[in-house]
Amino acid sequence: MEGTLDSPARTSGGGDIYLPRPATLLSVSAMTASDAFFELALDGPEDLGHLPGQFVEVSVPGMGEAPISVCSSPTRKGSFQMLVRRIGSVTQALHRKSPGDKVGIRGPFGTSFPMEGELKGKNLLFVAGGIGLAPLRSAIQYALDRRGDFGRIAILAGTRSAAERLFTGELLEWKRRNDLTLLETVDQPSPGWAGQVGLITGLFGMLRLEPGPWAALVCGPPVMYRFVLRELRRLQVPSREVHVSLERRMKCGVGKCGHCQINGLYVCQQGPVFRAGDLFDLKEAL
Amino acid sequence: MTVKQMDPASLNGWVDGLLLNRTVIGPVQKGDKFVFESLSRASDLRLDYDTTLLPPKKFLLPSREILLTFRGDSHYASQAPPDPFVLLGVHPYDVAAIRQMDRVFSEKQVDTHYMARRGACTLVALDAQAVSPNNFAGCMGTATVREGWDLLFSRVGGAYLAEAATEKGESLLRSAGLLADAAPGQLEERDRLWESNRQAMRRHVLHCSPQDLPGLLSRNYDHPLWQERAERCFSCGACNVVCPTCYCFDVQDEVDWSLECGSRCRAWDGCLLRDFASVAGGHNFRRHSAERYRHRYYRKAKYLPEMTGEIACVGCGRCVDACVARTANPVEVYNTLLGD
Amino acid sequence: MPRPRVAIFDFAGCEGCQLQIVNLEEALLDLLRVVDVVEWREAMSEQSDVFDIAVVEGAITRLEDEERLKRIRQKAPVLVALGSCASSGGLNKLKNRMAMSEARRLVYGRDGGVSRLDTAPVKAVSEVVKVDYLVRGCPIDRREFSYVVRCLALGREPFIPGYPVCVECRIRENACRWQEGEICLGPLTRAGCGAACPAQGAACLGCRGTCDDANLEGMASVLAQYGKSREELESRLAVFLDPDGKGVSHA
Ligand SMILES: Cc1cc2nc3c(=O)[nH]c(=O)nc-3n(C[C@H](O)[C@H](O)[C@H](O)COP(=O)(O)OP(=O)(O)OC[C@H]3O[C@@H](n4cnc5c(N)ncnc54)[C@H](O)[C@@H]3O)c2cc1C
Ligand code: SF4
Ligand code: SF4
Ligand code: SF4
Ligand code: SF4
Ligand code: FES
Repeated sequence: MEGTLDSPARTSGGGDIYLPRPATLLSVSAMTASDAFFELALDGPEDLGHLPGQFVEVSVPGMGEAPISVCSSPTRKGSFQMLVRRIGSVTQALHRKSPGDKVGIRGPFGTSFPMEGELKGKNLLFVAGGIGLAPLRSAIQYALDRRGDFGRIAILAGTRSAAERLFTGELLEWKRRNDLTLLETVDQPSPGWAGQVGLITGLFGMLRLEPGPWAALVCGPPVMYRFVLRELRRLQVPSREVHVSLERRMKCGVGKCGHCQINGLYVCQQGPVFRAGDLFDLKEAL
Repeated sequence: MTVKQMDPASLNGWVDGLLLNRTVIGPVQKGDKFVFESLSRASDLRLDYDTTLLPPKKFLLPSREILLTFRGDSHYASQAPPDPFVLLGVHPYDVAAIRQMDRVFSEKQVDTHYMARRGACTLVALDAQAVSPNNFAGCMGTATVREGWDLLFSRVGGAYLAEAATEKGESLLRSAGLLADAAPGQLEERDRLWESNRQAMRRHVLHCSPQDLPGLLSRNYDHPLWQERAERCFSCGACNVVCPTCYCFDVQDEVDWSLECGSRCRAWDGCLLRDFASVAGGHNFRRHSAERYRHRYYRKAKYLPEMTGEIACVGCGRCVDACVARTANPVEVYNTLLGD
Repeated sequence: MPRPRVAIFDFAGCEGCQLQIVNLEEALLDLLRVVDVVEWREAMSEQSDVFDIAVVEGAITRLEDEERLKRIRQKAPVLVALGSCASSGGLNKLKNRMAMSEARRLVYGRDGGVSRLDTAPVKAVSEVVKVDYLVRGCPIDRREFSYVVRCLALGREPFIPGYPVCVECRIRENACRWQEGEICLGPLTRAGCGAACPAQGAACLGCRGTCDDANLEGMASVLAQYGKSREELESRLAVFLDPDGKGVSHA
């Protein structure tokens, strides 16, 4: 479990950047009505070698490719995990797969949360809207596996309804830990849900941040960012300490196809993890 | 290497010779316009063309190209590299555009598909002998080029001057046999041709230097012109398709009737098309046609220049010609923003 | 995976689209290896009531047809509308521009008043029932049809362009019909045919229905630049894209 993880993102050393590497599904399990959880490993001896927050292009021949975040921490070796929402051709095909089936993997691609860099030693506030919990989970797991490297940890998580809550087993575990704070909300009242109801911004009022160097890690649907950033300003988390993970349409993952462009940035190259402060001047970013 | 000369008849003979053992692509007539096409004989060449409907990018980044084939769930194979070919008669503005694509596909992660085609290509440039009605390469600094080609032809008087810049170009020219050196007077004439092309390729006149464009756009994101000019825009992407510096692509899988085997293809895409920035679930990051319309100008004259230092418009004028709505003229846009 | 069972039904149309399927020739044998055709009046006699995919050709022109279509929909997990007539009403919709009684008289002569021949305003299949996939065109494009069948057999969404015909037209380096002095509906029409008509030197008539977010207002203002009148445009639009220009185009 030890060892440095600051390996650069893999480039396919002179080979074809569009050629996937075969990987085998180790387990497939339904998580909600539309989300499934996958554990997989590359065929051959190599680890994926990703960093928290990076994504891979998952390939199903005949269906195409989809960018999917790795939702497990690189501190946990031998395999990696992803959470996939069923929404179109590739994601539907993934949901039909069973353990033992093959998929293709390109990557890991993109930037990561600087867990071994500037985030080390800081207090971490995670803000996850819906499926945004998936990429954040790799960083949360990382922080918990290296608990001594970080200060306080707080997690705010929101979903539309209780039925859409993700990683419920882990949420329960986190809830029980006394070295982190977990606050949850769902947008609409749901049967069997006794917790908080309302938008994720409502959780900020319940949050008591002890003084100290805080950094925020944020991922959620496009509409969420502006409101969350406003709350973070109110809590006086400096915008250079806010790391957001953004989504855009992607086709290549390698800075060629032009789809993921935000102003002068390619989300697949300079992102998906950005420092919020670097995005304020970009008209289309947040 | 010294500049050589060749009369038009021996140029044709040379091309016919090349055609015996390789593919040669050059400008030919189609209706009352011109297109680049694989030649079957040199006499079809129209080296006096003004511009072509599509730029020669279609041979380096084909409109549809197989990236890989697959069989079952885990066997993928890269597409084999293409055979060598000669791309003949490329005007300087198109050479400038190819150089921009070269950078995109070779920097950081190398796109082996583009680079294999590019490597298979011997690029023979040609100084323009006629200027198309919408060309403004003279304003963009691309009416002539001194880099990017293997061989450059220039028509002066009754002869063609041929200058090789690379080993590829030299060996291609060697196959023409022994050629006389260009006379000093002919070289002066070539300088005059360059100067006259720089002047003639100003069918639309940009009222600022290209270097000023990124700054101009920085100040005008919310200018009413974007909405006004996009009201006629059909989001038809014609301005993307015909542009030599547009290289964005989509990727789609197709299977054959076995449903097991198939190919992953890339195909030209365009940022003016409605779904270019839309994601599953319905969110579109540039939903309105005015946002997409504006994006094209920002990409070409601000975003890419800020990354590469070069304006991603070579002034070929093809988008002006291809826009049914007559709203795609970059010079009109920039001059309006300049307040002229 | 068992082969999906396909049933093909026809309503008002010229059956030209079904003919395109028959004309698939050797690909038809491939197709039959991928799907199991259980009902097809055009090509076979046996009929079955149990199927996975219903393919419906033709427009809906009579009230009893609406009932028949609804019954098909009830039995069909997936319904595909085949051709312009089914997708948008197609040429049949020209009829909607006349009074119904006049249409009857034109078609059936003096017998037009008899109720058996009741003819209602023409509807596209999607105006009567939910349609899952549209294979557009008059007639359909054989390659596109084959592609959609393979996608359905594979269980994926087919990629059908939402953008205008101009994309494919420019890629083929056709002479633009507007520059030849004609009104071409390519900028308003959904691509997928490979710009078949401009490639033959003819303007696009819009047989594939409107593209996503077709800019009709823009077209009206472009006309003047080419010295064309609104009437000329409207007479073109009337053929496939509805008198008011809102060709039904979404599945
Ligand atoms: C960096 C990043 C990380 C992501 N992580 C996850 C994750 O962990 N779990 C998850 O379920 N989803 C994730 N997504 C979203 C996911 O990529 C899309 O839902 C998926 O591409 C849809 O593909 P499809 O073939 O099923 O849908 P279709 O609608 O058939 O999409 C067709 C193609 O369009 C493109 N496309 C469509 N939607 C998107 C999108 N939202 N983002 C990028 N490209 C898109 C893709 O190239 C896709 O293959 C992520 C997206 C990005 C950009
Ligand atoms: S600017 Fe013109 S060519 Fe470009 S998408 Fe709009 S209408 Fe089409
Ligand atoms: S933007 Fe227009 S003028 Fe400029 S390079 Fe592209 S097609 Fe040519
Ligand atoms: S001919 Fe029609 S389809 Fe082709 S480019 Fe012109 S307007 Fe578009
Ligand atoms: S060009 Fe237009 S009319 Fe012709 S087949 Fe295509 S969509 Fe139909
Ligand atoms: S996904 Fe292709 S450039 Fe980013």
